[in-house]
Amino acid sequence: MSTELSRLLNALGLIAISAVLTMAFIDQVWFGELPCPLCILQRAGLIAAGCGIALNIVFGPKPSQYGLAIIGAIASAAISMRQILQHIVPGTGFYGPPVWGLHLYTWAFLFAVAIVLGSGLMLLGDRQFSQVQPISGRLKGLPFIALLLFLVLTLANVFSTLALCGTGLCPEEPVDYELFELND
Amino acid sequence: MMSLPFVLFACAIGAAWMRQRGVSLGFWLVGLVTMLILFRVHVSEVLSIQL
Repeated sequence: MSTELSRLLNALGLIAISAVLTMAFIDQVWFGELPCPLCILQRAGLIAAGCGIALNIVFGPKPSQYGLAIIGAIASAAISMRQILQHIVPGTGFYGPPVWGLHLYTWAFLFAVAIVLGSGLMLLGDRQFSQVQPISGRLKGLPFIALLLFLVLTLANVFSTLALCGTGLCPEEPVDYELFELND
Repeated sequence: MMSLPFVLFACAIGAAWMRQRGVSLGFWLVGLVTMLILFRVHVSEVLSIQL
């Protein structure tokens, strides 16, 4: 796998993470499903994984940066698994309505596993690491769009979480935005 | 406080964009630790998974 192909695949991976974060936002803003604290932390885990992929785009692919993506995805999967176990016994309730038969925290777990698998597969391509990386060139095209979108969504999560939880911890089952009353 | 991991990850992405790899890795690590601390804070209740 060439470095350029690797960078392109990393850009597509980052766009996939951005798509998931966007869907979470649509669920929050359009359907009014306010995220629970664990849901917010799952988003943070996906962003942690995305940071490794973003570094691959900017600095060229490196095994250590795939490592960041895997660690972030495992952290996100652990948080999702905690929430799945919280509701695994029948009759113990759930958080939010299911989407295509699965709750969002189950989707988050599956997506985190997909990131781990994807990173593992990408690590199999040794040739991408052997080429010298020009790191001085400006980003353009799909990698630039992917990175910009990811940064915007990360910043959007900063403001969204600040609006939802204020400067403290989030309530276990939020019913309204703490800073603004947007969800009347 | 819950927005802190996002702030730190945004800084990591920003630093990467400015070609500061070491700084970016630093922000990422602090962001991850912050996220795990917040996770620990929010999972204080015991799981009830006995059938």
